[in-house]
Amino acid sequence: MQGKPFFSVIPLIGILLPWVSLLILTLMPSRSRKARLSLCFLGSAATFVLVLTLLPGILDGHSYTIKIASVVQGLELRLTVDTLGYYFALMLSFLWMLATLYSIGYIDHKENRFFIFMALVESFILGCAFSGNMFTYFIFYELMTFGSYPLIVHEETREARYAATKYLVYSIAAGAVLFFAVVGNYFWGGGQLGFGQYGSLSLDIASRAALTTLFFAYLAGFGVKAAIMPLHGWVPDAHPAAPSPASALLSGVILKAGAFGIIRVVFNIFGIELMRELKVFIVMAVLACITIVLASLFALTQDNLKRRLAYSSIGQVSYIILGIAMLTHDGGLGGLMHLTHHAIMKGCLFLCAGVILLKTGKRNISEMRGIGYQYPITMIAFSVCALAMIGTPPSVGFISKWLLGNGALEAGLPVYIIILLTSALLSAAYFLPIIYVAFFRWEGDEIEGSARPKLSFTNESDYRLMVPIIVLAILVVIMGIWITVPGFPYSLVSKVIGVIFH
Amino acid sequence: MAIFMITLPLLGAVLVSIVGYLKPHWLPWGALVPLLASGVLGCMLIGRIPSDGYISYHLGNWSVPLGIELRVDYLALFLMLLICALGLLALIFSRRYIVKEVSAGRMTAYYVLILLLSGGLMGFVASGDIFNLFVFMEIVALSSYGLVAISANSRAVRAALRYLLMGAPASIIILLGIALLYMATGSLNMAELAGRIGQSGYREILIASFVLFVVGFGVKAALFPLHLWLPDAHSIAPSPVSALLSGLVVEVSIFGILRIAYSVFTPHVGNLTSATSNALAVLAAAGVIFGGVMALLQKDLKLMLAYSTISHVGYIFLGLTAFNAEGLTGAMYHMLDHGLAKACMFLCAGSFIYIKGFRRIEDLKGAWRQMPWTCFAFGLAAFSLVGIPPTAGFISKWYLILGNVKAGNWVYVVVLLLGSLLGAFYCFRILYYMFFQPGKEGAWTPRPADVPPSMLIPIWILAVATVFFGLFSGLVIPSLLKAAGLLI
Amino acid sequence: MNLSHNYLYAAAMLLFCIGLYNVIVRRNIVKKLIGLNIMETSVFFFYISLGYTRNGVAPVAGAGADPTRMVNPVPQVLVLTGIIVAVGVTALALSMVILLHRKYGTLDTDQIMRMARQEETQAAREEGN
Repeated sequence: MQGKPFFSVIPLIGILLPWVSLLILTLMPSRSRKARLSLCFLGSAATFVLVLTLLPGILDGHSYTIKIASVVQGLELRLTVDTLGYYFALMLSFLWMLATLYSIGYIDHKENRFFIFMALVESFILGCAFSGNMFTYFIFYELMTFGSYPLIVHEETREARYAATKYLVYSIAAGAVLFFAVVGNYFWGGGQLGFGQYGSLSLDIASRAALTTLFFAYLAGFGVKAAIMPLHGWVPDAHPAAPSPASALLSGVILKAGAFGIIRVVFNIFGIELMRELKVFIVMAVLACITIVLASLFALTQDNLKRRLAYSSIGQVSYIILGIAMLTHDGGLGGLMHLTHHAIMKGCLFLCAGVILLKTGKRNISEMRGIGYQYPITMIAFSVCALAMIGTPPSVGFISKWLLGNGALEAGLPVYIIILLTSALLSAAYFLPIIYVAFFRWEGDEIEGSARPKLSFTNESDYRLMVPIIVLAILVVIMGIWITVPGFPYSLVSKVIGVIFH
Repeated sequence: MAIFMITLPLLGAVLVSIVGYLKPHWLPWGALVPLLASGVLGCMLIGRIPSDGYISYHLGNWSVPLGIELRVDYLALFLMLLICALGLLALIFSRRYIVKEVSAGRMTAYYVLILLLSGGLMGFVASGDIFNLFVFMEIVALSSYGLVAISANSRAVRAALRYLLMGAPASIIILLGIALLYMATGSLNMAELAGRIGQSGYREILIASFVLFVVGFGVKAALFPLHLWLPDAHSIAPSPVSALLSGLVVEVSIFGILRIAYSVFTPHVGNLTSATSNALAVLAAAGVIFGGVMALLQKDLKLMLAYSTISHVGYIFLGLTAFNAEGLTGAMYHMLDHGLAKACMFLCAGSFIYIKGFRRIEDLKGAWRQMPWTCFAFGLAAFSLVGIPPTAGFISKWYLILGNVKAGNWVYVVVLLLGSLLGAFYCFRILYYMFFQPGKEGAWTPRPADVPPSMLIPIWILAVATVFFGLFSGLVIPSLLKAAGLLI
Repeated sequence: MNLSHNYLYAAAMLLFCIGLYNVIVRRNIVKKLIGLNIMETSVFFFYISLGYTRNGVAPVAGAGADPTRMVNPVPQVLVLTGIIVAVGVTALALSMVILLHRKYGTLDTDQIMRMARQEETQAAREEGN
């Protein structure tokens, strides 16, 4: 949105690229499994590379747009790549590429369906990231919601069916509320749904009551996906039930799509000034704080590893919401950067959990004594990410927390710092025991004098599962140290925040 | 030229009956020709009619007020093209399908009745004279009664008789309404009536007339609580017939109320008809919820689709009663979308019956292994019915809700959203069974063995059309908005 | 407007109500159809009385015809059309009645419903086996 947007077909191609791998999957014969799945990975890699090519232009401050179709003046299907959207797209295409690679090694039945819908959902979320107005965003958002259903129900066990049905029910209800919000936005926005640089609604056209209702409708509609309490109910069931690469993407990207919607609403539809006027950000912040604390508390009580990680995600996504709700420079910076940071950390954690599940069949932490000795690389990566989630420097988790704390001081509300510290303590309380059990306990250690098992590197899985884990774990640290590398979150987010908080 | 669009199918019906007597195996192709010709004429007319104008044709060159006038404006042409399209697709589908349900002796009657139905529907939509409206409505009604009963088993005849015993009194009520209108204004031409109603002093007679119209057309359109005939009639009729009935006949009846309320009683719509319109809106809202809930409870696929029709009829009415251009546009676009999607779903139901004889929803578990094309088309149509972007149903829902938001009818906004929630539940339940549930032992073959192409093509044309009209609604919506704005 | 002026219309409405009552309440199908016909006839009656003028003459144009005293011919045309429609409906309905009578042997709607329900439970039971 800075400078005049250039016309470019690249956003459209980016959205359509995953469809190519979809076509490959449906058309190629089923015998050549390796070839087909490798082509899928190439498809997602190509998408990432395509998105990457836009980086220099975006860093220079350009934006790109293309109109696909239009209903009437004011309601058009338009793709616009601005810095904020690009940031989301870069993050998600990178994660998706890694997740696809991981899936090739992980998924062993009904692969066709899984990979087809992986590709479809990537396409739809890219559409969300590249949306030029709320109409387009809503369309892709709904498509993404329905497209992710087969990913959750993939295993077709009773838990999977229950979790997927719950997901669908929550999402459809949210969709109805969101429908009302978008129509209301069109009506009270004076017949347009665009993203303005400083917001596109104003009190001149609509009443205070109308705009407040509109904001809460948006918050409820997007909040189901962003797991704001009390709308989070589907998350703890969906994450354990879905296959691990899907869980990683669920936590890393799909929940973020809801948060991204809220970001767009706050920054580009309402705008900071209007938010301050309407004072609705207070409710948003309160809900976020409640979610952060309660989710961390719930995480303590879970023995199932993936459920614990799911509750952790619920809390962490609310960090983002809290950062936005602070309405300050550093708060926004921290919140937006946490979008990527959490995705990387939690993604790696879920992928490690997947390796454990695949290799040993163990789901519960209590069963995982000494597992660090059998799968050292996996568990070291896990530990790195877990420490990052707690906020240990020099990891990305530390950066997010530092910025959020600064933002709280800027806002003049030190209570947020207390929330952040409490949450950090609770995170330590539910992450450290896992590391402890993995490395400092072992099978049969109740017996006096039993020897510590040797580290054994032979059990580790093949490269398709390990490469994504190692890459993500390394990134967690590198991104925390070399922050200002172009392409890393800071370079993009600082531009966005710089414009909004001019 | 518009007159030929209407007379060709009617004349064709006569010709087809002769053809059927002489050479029965030419029947399906022969029946296609008149409708195809109508369709071509309709396409030629598209460019000719601006969105705020109309074409007028006087029968026999007798001018008004003595003669009968046909008025084809943008809305009418829109519906006429839909009628041609659905009629053609149903006929193509029938070629293979209808042998399953109709005995050889009645084939001719079937094709004749379908042509009469199509011609009658087009005449109804294009009519500019109110008595002409009645005559065409009767043609439509008689053909529908016949088509419901065509399979001649006792259930069908009972359903058709129930339809008749509710539809015929409704026709009489409408006739009485016309009589009252004539009594109060002395004219039968719709354009003239619009002027004369304002000058007429007979307020009570006009209000009574409007109420009679609403009741009469309400029965035909299955407005709650006058819907009792619909579930049986639409579920027992042969699937292509159900497609036409649900997709066209009920909607054209709603269009009848639209014409009466906007073209005849306007601009006095407000003070003469406001009470009735409010009652209408309440009943429509009740119908939306009732239809949705009943659809959830059904075990038979076609019964569920029939109750779903009742729900969607309520949607269209809620668009009409919003009294603004957006609501009206939403109502018209929903006629398009519901017609396409519901017809597609009924034809898919027909496919399931054709291949396996399955009518119950439970039997559809795991259906996608054997019939993937049908299942995917059904899925697309279901998405459109629920209103998921980027289908036509989404656009129509958008305008329906926008119209009611603009009018401040918050209750109806909630009702519309609730209705789409219910729709999501009953539609997705079927999709879940079809795609994500394993089939019963030996119910389905693991390799695809779907219906023949002559049946698949109409299904897929309809399914693709729902997405096409969602993505490219810009072709139609601006003109619809203008045309609707003129009526308000 | 008092009844002495509108007795024709009132009579038509009375007939209409009688017809509607019969359609709804009677159990015998043929009686329902007769009720339907009464309704239709009452509306035709209503139409014709619309066009009636006191001491009117037949609406034939010709030498010495006085237009102001003619009965209005338009409703009569409408009624002719309506009669055709009514005949069509009745014929169709009667053919359905014949089919039902052949199948069920009775014209009583309650009995037909009972027999039909028995049929259906029978069929459901067979399908279950």
